[in-house]
Amino acid sequence: MPSLTKMIFGNGPLGPSLAPWIRQRPGLQKYWARWSNFYKNAAGYRQKGYLYDDLIVEETPQVQKALQRLSPQQRYDRVFRMRRGILQSMGHKKLPKEQWTTPEQDVRYLTPLIEQVVAEEAERAEWDYMTVEKIQQKRAEKRNIFSKREGTH
Amino acid sequence: MYSLAKLPRGQSALKTALRRLVSSKASSAGGVSVIGFENKGPAATSSLTVAIKAGSRFESTPGVAHVLKNFAFKATANGSSLKTVRETELYGGVLSSALSREHIFLTAEFLRGDEEHFLSVLTSVLSSSQFYGHELKELVLPVVQSEAIAAQSSPITLALDAAHKLAFRKGLGNSLYASPHYPVTIDDVKSYAQGAFSKSNVAVIGSGISTESLSQVVSSAFGSGSSQPGSSGLNTSKTSYYGGEARIPLDIHAPPTALPTLVIAYGTSSPATLELKVLKQLLGGESSLKWTPGTSPLAQAADKVPGGSAKAFLLPYSDAALFGVVVSAPTSPQLAGLAKEVAQIIKSAGSAAKDEEIKRAVAKATFADATASETLEGLVANVGPALFAGGEVKSESFSGVSASSVSKAASELLKAKPTVVAVGNVNVLPYA
Repeated sequence: MPSLTKMIFGNGPLGPSLAPWIRQRPGLQKYWARWSNFYKNAAGYRQKGYLYDDLIVEETPQVQKALQRLSPQQRYDRVFRMRRGILQSMGHKKLPKEQWTTPEQDVRYLTPLIEQVVAEEAERAEWDYMTVEKIQQKRAEKRNIFSKREGTH
Repeated sequence: MYSLAKLPRGQSALKTALRRLVSSKASSAGGVSVIGFENKGPAATSSLTVAIKAGSRFESTPGVAHVLKNFAFKATANGSSLKTVRETELYGGVLSSALSREHIFLTAEFLRGDEEHFLSVLTSVLSSSQFYGHELKELVLPVVQSEAIAAQSSPITLALDAAHKLAFRKGLGNSLYASPHYPVTIDDVKSYAQGAFSKSNVAVIGSGISTESLSQVVSSAFGSGSSQPGSSGLNTSKTSYYGGEARIPLDIHAPPTALPTLVIAYGTSSPATLELKVLKQLLGGESSLKWTPGTSPLAQAADKVPGGSAKAFLLPYSDAALFGVVVSAPTSPQLAGLAKEVAQIIKSAGSAAKDEEIKRAVAKATFADATASETLEGLVANVGPALFAGGEVKSESFSGVSASSVSKAASELLKAKPTVVAVGNVNVLPYA
């Protein structure tokens, strides 16, 4: 689960979300799911054939890198959904009911990749600003079968 | 001022060399062969090398061994590749991986006292490499591409690769480098690694560490290792020598350091004998003293062409060997003339050799063998195959080699079909 700061202020390009905190409490999640399902159906993206992750703002370096990591099939499907959705928007239309995105199809395919990229960048920043005191301290008190004991030869 | 009488002379030097013929025994730690050389290497550092019998010879799809070698030290269960590299830098060590036709070598060089950490790094590569698809695309393939391009732009590497392809076709004939014509996918790499990283395929060589302590630690590290201990999972096939001819034009965009090159080689389907080593020194091509050509016939021939060189080589493998000469000259017409001379020298190799020349060659071969294990690279290249063959590493004496045995070996070798690869202006270079 991400830290509280990440949940309130957002995890890079993903924005704030208390979802991980709610998912840990099954009773609360069952109650909350009714409202989140109502919201997802009312938001309007499913009626134009999009998935939720198609709406993530892609003009950030992290999301661009995550998009490079999609499989060729995923990339093609995403472009198809974008083109179909734009056509609907231009004519102020919705798709016929059979072509709306179903809840089973609405998989978060891009969010794990974005989290992976953000985590890699955070790890690099952590290593760049690390201090080395701990390792030196460990080496001084480390003893294994390769090291000679003090006083013996 | 030293008295000349006190300097060691040839006879006693030979005796010293013979006294140093030690045989080191490897121990087996949980199915993995382990050997440690306590007294080799610098005083302040040790090194650990894991040799895996997964060279280009055993690859199932073209180029996958090259990609697997570059996939070393990427993400494992212990952490990402960034973590591995930064930790190594903080410990003060060097990680590297190398590919030969029969083995992949993963090496860690470090300060004495850090053996545990680096052994855990090496074992985690073997047991828990994650092989992510995005790592292949972002980290590994650019390196593979640059290495393949560098190999293409060096005529000697190109010629030797082509020579192996003609000589051995499949198996040892597989190219060391991946090719853009045969893209490698992450599933290819995963399945190759699964077959390659089994315990019977792995040997550990330590320098600056004793065999006992190394085998103790390796058996605990590899205890919960990968797959079946008995099988190797990779296809091994018997080597046979074919021979043939290839002519490759030199790219007009090649750098000025790329000289036209011709390789004349003969192969055997049996391991390299001592006679072949002596024959290589007999033909020679290298000089032992700066600013003078050598006394060997190849060196004398190359001296006539300014900037030209003709060097004999012997590439020994576990069940075959390739013996030949690499000739190069600044322009293709010069190379054509030099190559014809070299062909004459090879045809009369060994048969017209005088006793003194043989003695000289034997001395050079003894020296080459003795000093081969001085560097880490040479040590690993000698010890790795020996561990997989029998588990014992010994240096052999050249006392059984005589002029007659050398000429016999040479005539046996020359009976086979030659392998000739010409790289350069193919309109000018000679045919076999």
